[in-house]
Amino acid sequence: MNIFLRELRAYRKSVLIWALSLSLLSVIFLMLFPAFTKDTLASQKVIEHFPLAIRQALDISLQYFFTIYGFFAYLLTFVGLAGAVQAMNIGVGIISKEVSGKTADFLLTKPVSRAAVITSKLLAAFGLILITNIVFSLVSLVAANIISTTKFDNNIFALTSATMFLIQIFFLALGILTSVIIPKIKSAISVSLPVVFSFFIIGTLGVILGNDIVKYVSPFKFFDTNYIISHKSYDPKYLMIEAVFIVVAIAISYIVYTKKDVKAAV
Amino acid sequence: MNIFFRELKVYRKSLLFWSLGMIALVASGMAKFAAYSNTGQSMNAILSQFPQSIQTIFGLTGFDLSKASGFISVLFMYIALMATIHAVLLGAGIISKEERDKTAEFLFVRPINRARVISSKIAAGIINLVVINIVTFISSVYFVNYFTKDNSTINYVITLMCGLFFLQLMFFFIGTAVAAINNKSRTSASIATSVLLFSFILTFLININNDLKNLKYLTPFKYFDAKDLLATGKLDVIYVSISLVVVFVMIFMTYMSFANKDLND
Amino acid sequence: MNIIETKKLTKYYGNSPGIIDLDLSVEQGEIFGFIGPNGAGKSTTIRTLLGLIRPTGGSATIFGKDVVKFSPEINEEVGYLPSEVFYYDDMRAIDLLKYSGSFYKKDQKVIAKRINDLAAYLDLDLKKKIDDLSYGNKKKVGIIQGLLHQPKLIILDEPTGGLDPLMQQRFFALLKEENKKGATILFSSHILSEVQKLCDRVAIIKDGKIIKVERIDSLIENTNKRFKLETAVKVDKSRFTGLTGISDLVITDNSISFLYRGKINDVTKIIASLNLTNMLVEEPDLEEIFLHYYATD
Repeated sequence: MNIFLRELRAYRKSVLIWALSLSLLSVIFLMLFPAFTKDTLASQKVIEHFPLAIRQALDISLQYFFTIYGFFAYLLTFVGLAGAVQAMNIGVGIISKEVSGKTADFLLTKPVSRAAVITSKLLAAFGLILITNIVFSLVSLVAANIISTTKFDNNIFALTSATMFLIQIFFLALGILTSVIIPKIKSAISVSLPVVFSFFIIGTLGVILGNDIVKYVSPFKFFDTNYIISHKSYDPKYLMIEAVFIVVAIAISYIVYTKKDVKAAV
Repeated sequence: MNIFFRELKVYRKSLLFWSLGMIALVASGMAKFAAYSNTGQSMNAILSQFPQSIQTIFGLTGFDLSKASGFISVLFMYIALMATIHAVLLGAGIISKEERDKTAEFLFVRPINRARVISSKIAAGIINLVVINIVTFISSVYFVNYFTKDNSTINYVITLMCGLFFLQLMFFFIGTAVAAINNKSRTSASIATSVLLFSFILTFLININNDLKNLKYLTPFKYFDAKDLLATGKLDVIYVSISLVVVFVMIFMTYMSFANKDLND
Repeated sequence: MNIIETKKLTKYYGNSPGIIDLDLSVEQGEIFGFIGPNGAGKSTTIRTLLGLIRPTGGSATIFGKDVVKFSPEINEEVGYLPSEVFYYDDMRAIDLLKYSGSFYKKDQKVIAKRINDLAAYLDLDLKKKIDDLSYGNKKKVGIIQGLLHQPKLIILDEPTGGLDPLMQQRFFALLKEENKKGATILFSSHILSEVQKLCDRVAIIKDGKIIKVERIDSLIENTNKRFKLETAVKVDKSRFTGLTGISDLVITDNSISFLYRGKINDVTKIIASLNLTNMLVEEPDLEEIFLHYYATD
């Protein structure tokens, strides 16, 4: 419990900055929605001139697309990216900082098992992510309700905004795994940034170029808005992939962390 | 010179990884070209009638993906993103790591002034940037030829790489300036990175809302937009000037702040 | 029962050996010195005992419990002070110490009182941030975090660096007091005079192996004492014949110097018969003993 509280306290400023910046970004973005609605109207006029076959083909995706969900989902591409950086940073940092700050000796000579150390840290990291998401989702939901001119389903909106949470816990697990495997990480961000952006680029570029395999590789592409809107839930296939990955990553982290040598801090 | 060589050595492994990453990005991107160039064009032609914001959100790039030049333009956004992440981490890291790793006391008691130390580090950093740039250039030219048999793009690629170099320089020096000003060595990389993240996200906000277009001066990514470079075939004088101003201001701030800095271990 | 016991304890770092087949036993209530030069394997042994690194071979127990399996349980009653102290920069000294105390099952109020007592004794300002403390003051924080839970075993790895002589004295007094209350102490050092001042028994380690374990007093007893005499007139060499255990005898016009190992009474009888102006008998310090063991190759 003491380690858990200590970590929450150590990260309180950082989590505050993250939660507020992401929320602010969301509010600014949602404020652009009215202007976007004008563009969607213009688009709908364009569509009316299309042949029927094409119209039907387009219709399915576009009808969701022009709603506030579709618009918000676009924001989530970037909020998800930023959130992934935050999560991976916490994941990498929360364990490796004891090594880079040379405090591992202090902590691990206390009467506490390594499994308990990693558990406390995991829970603290999870708590930080949870706080970020609660703030972000609530602010976004309130802002959307104020800004949107049409009625919309709060549940779908919440499901959409919670994709950030799912992306984040993926990268949190990846970060923890990375930090127990790489022996000495001097700066968490120089590890997490390239990794997160690689996944982002693989996902985004893959979709632009029509590569379907990337959907299974990049968590940024796991939770498709169209699917969420039409099914009011996430695609179980991807939830499974994510769950398996997280369980495996965390399990390996426990095994490695409880066995590894702690180098002398000189 | 000893610091210069030492820094080159320290970063050689990281440089290798980044170079390989860049090659992989260009190669895998261009590899899709052959498959892509024949399909899916009709839908894109239709969707291109939509307003810019709709196209952006729909993931349309506005480039003709049946041409190598269009393809490389799409890739350029991501190449630039990778290269600037490298540059900003390098800039922040190369200055702040002495304090972060508690070697500042070792280095700064030597008979050498701080400006010389910074100059050596900057010189080593720029070599790294140049290597990344050249690697990107060569792999772009190679893979464009390999996958498209289209030789006409080489001048365009050169223009893109010039733009890329300005982007790299700007973010590198944003990194060094942040590291020099910031007193908490461990947070330098994070702060410098948030500048980058902010610019990147702003770029997309501008793309979906025309009213924000005046904010484009705030994000270097807009200075060297592949769309403009492809249309005009050369770098914009105004943007190049702004870039140079940014670079010089950042260099000035790096030297000034570092000269007066309390070095903490 | 032995507080610390290692059996053929071995640690390899990749291919290079840290310690090899180390057998060590530290008894309850003693202050055990562990000496050897840098890189001999002192820290490797200690870090293995603390469960920070895992042995490649052999085993070690503390309080009869295996150090790999029961590390957290053992640490409840162990206090550790490393040579270099690194703590969380963002905390104040008091925050760190309270955090440190929060790991132990003991009554937190007792620990809090102990923190204050120790801080007063060592003259440490608890309100300062760790980051702003000098090296010596950080060391004091280190001492307090190692002792605040009144451990049954105190492990010290070259602990005195950064402490001024006065503080060093207080620190040693503190250790002796803990020892009187029943704490066992493992004290690693390369500074022999410290070990001599504090320890009951000592193990000498070299290249990852223990080459000698002995009581400090017998270690000193069993070695030569140097006698330096000043005389009014030149003394004839023959006066010392028949005395066994004498060596390195040098006689000049008014000085005599020799090494002696044997019964003190025998030598003082002879000295008493001389016309002395001054006399000096030097105990060999550990330094000499130490060099003796290390000079062999």
